[in-house]
Amino acid sequence: MALSRKIAYIDLTNRRVRTAPIPLEMRKLYLGGRGLDMYLLYNHVKPGADPLGPDNVALVSAGLLTGTLATASARTHVAGKSPLTGFVGSANMGGFFGPELRMAGFDHLVITGKADGPVYLWIHDGEIEIRDASHLWGRDAHQTQTMVRQELGDDDIQVMTIGVAGENLVRFACVMTSLKNAAGRTGMGALWGSKNLKAIAARGRMDIKLAFPEEALEYNKEIITQVTSAKVSKTMQKLGTLFIWGTTNSTGLVRVRNFQSNQIPYADDIEPESIEEEMIGTAGCFGCQVHCRGRYFIKKGPYTGAYVEGPEYTSLGAFGAEVGCTTKQTVLVGNHLVNMYGLDTLETGSMIAWAMELFEKGILTEKDTDGLDLRFGNDEAVIEAVHQIAQRRGIGDILAEGPLKAAEKIGKDAIKYLIHVKGMSNLHSDERPTPALALNIATASRGSDHLRSRPAIDLYHLPEKVLRKIYGNPVPYDGPLTSDYRDYEGKPWEVIWQEMCYEAVDCLGICKYHTVFLGPNMPNFSEWPRLIQLNTGLELTSKDIWDCADRAYTLERLFNLREGLTREMDWLPDRYFDEKTDRGLPVVRGKSIDREEFKKMIDEYYKLHEWDEKGRPTKKKLEALGLQDEPTHKL
Amino acid sequence: MSKKTEESAAKKVVKGRTSGQFRCLNCFERLTPPPGAKTFTCPNCGYAWRIYWFNPGEPRIRGPVWDVNEAQTQKSMAENKGGK
Ligand code: SF4
Ligand SMILES: [Zn+2]
Repeated sequence: MALSRKIAYIDLTNRRVRTAPIPLEMRKLYLGGRGLDMYLLYNHVKPGADPLGPDNVALVSAGLLTGTLATASARTHVAGKSPLTGFVGSANMGGFFGPELRMAGFDHLVITGKADGPVYLWIHDGEIEIRDASHLWGRDAHQTQTMVRQELGDDDIQVMTIGVAGENLVRFACVMTSLKNAAGRTGMGALWGSKNLKAIAARGRMDIKLAFPEEALEYNKEIITQVTSAKVSKTMQKLGTLFIWGTTNSTGLVRVRNFQSNQIPYADDIEPESIEEEMIGTAGCFGCQVHCRGRYFIKKGPYTGAYVEGPEYTSLGAFGAEVGCTTKQTVLVGNHLVNMYGLDTLETGSMIAWAMELFEKGILTEKDTDGLDLRFGNDEAVIEAVHQIAQRRGIGDILAEGPLKAAEKIGKDAIKYLIHVKGMSNLHSDERPTPALALNIATASRGSDHLRSRPAIDLYHLPEKVLRKIYGNPVPYDGPLTSDYRDYEGKPWEVIWQEMCYEAVDCLGICKYHTVFLGPNMPNFSEWPRLIQLNTGLELTSKDIWDCADRAYTLERLFNLREGLTREMDWLPDRYFDEKTDRGLPVVRGKSIDREEFKKMIDEYYKLHEWDEKGRPTKKKLEALGLQDEPTHKL
Repeated sequence: MSKKTEESAAKKVVKGRTSGQFRCLNCFERLTPPPGAKTFTCPNCGYAWRIYWFNPGEPRIRGPVWDVNEAQTQKSMAENKGGK
């Protein structure tokens, strides 16, 4: 059965492996994927542990529905204490690894200690081997996957790996699988690098038996039609997530030159439709019919002939508007390099854009950059900066430390120009005209982040009736909700609902593009009970699923509080309040966030969560979720 | 296991989908440009959009007609229509 997969405890220091079943009781509380990982994180990482020390724990998991007939059940979750922020480290990736891990017999890996030299894990049909990876150390993410497949003699092996950035402990290094799937945020690649863990390979032939296969197939067909008939999905099939950037820039909600503007006009060459001209087709993840991943060959320059997937919205921001570049060649090459090096594209672009503003303001000079001319719009300097970060050379060695540590090293006024929350850079969007989205990044549990709680549909001007239907299920809500994205009122509940929705899909192992993220009429709490029941046999109501998500999200909050989170950190950089947007449509132009209104939003957000005024879950809330005695060490 | 007794939520959603239109990003009016049109000006607010047809029946906004929309915005900011 889908529920029979095991948890494996892998001690790299002593090279020991132990496996255990996952009790049904824990499934009912946390589902799987990110949910159970958060339980493991809270229970296995000692308070105050050094994120790059042997006491940190590297977690890898498949979701409850990963590898089943549920649509886009492709996701793999990667977690640990973040080397970037010191708070929750958590990142989710598409591709094929998660399903393969399940077919090899495992749902959760808990990797502790530190190997005495480079190793990789080979997981196959219920077995786990720790193997030497000296020959893989120094290889890029693509080479490593090919070499592992060749060595083990099976082209169908799925491999997760770090690139050189992870080996060099770049604090925003990611874990990669296949050409472009990245567990991108919070520096999980650096955590693996600190353990000398280069890769994990999986291959399985153990069937995932479904509870009601015929009915599951039928129901999934309906869900597929629901997803693929949405305009947003049809657009993604053609343009990938790049399409979001086009719409966002047209309105005036992108971040340009490190927050100095909110729209880049006449940048036709980096419009999604222009990048689409380079594409030779699209690819998809396990069980997905949307196929949003553009495929292309680089046609010019030193990387000519390289076969690449992507770029996504974030790479377009990172190597386009943020760094003031307007040629698609830079976007395509930048995207390729971060995938090879295993770098978080968002953080990489943000760090370079920040350094460019410091350069513009004279805080960094050519003396600091060893002659690298970090002017906005210098395409060559942007690409060189990517190499320097991954290889920890020159100014790259400082930028590789991530926002807060780099600002401390540079000194002067550098910190003033950082666009970050909790030490993690913001998405390349401008949230000054959109308080709901601003609240999302200020409060997200892994630092500034759109994939934790962004109510993106708030931008669609949906009628209140539609909003009530979405945001009133499965927990009734009769407070205010408004169609106007400039409003402050009613938005905290939207953020909380999205938190639960995204937490739930991350527990299930389903792609976020198959729920209420970019499209309002996508599957969510109404559809999931049946999907879960038909695939796994587990009977859960919509409210049960919500509670599982709430439980996991609350544990994330508890983890962060234990590691020093304060109310003051649920806040935005000063520039959100003090500088006004200078471009875009009239509705977004001349906007900044109002401090008082925003403070009220935070209060309301805490209240709705049943957290106290300092942002700590109340005793009542903990008891309602059964968390009052955590850590309970049941797994 | 539970039986399906009525039309599922998924099926209802699919029935309600529209095509051939996009919403003006400025005034949110639903617009129906003539097939294949490269640009379209919103009859409601005067903003002009470049159009991309991601398939023959489905248009989306590729981007603004920059100078037209900037002029519109300048005008409306002067009249203080940004609001809030
Ligand atoms: S929508 Fe895109 S990212 Fe999501 S599963 Fe499908 S191909 Fe993968
Ligand atoms: Zn209009």
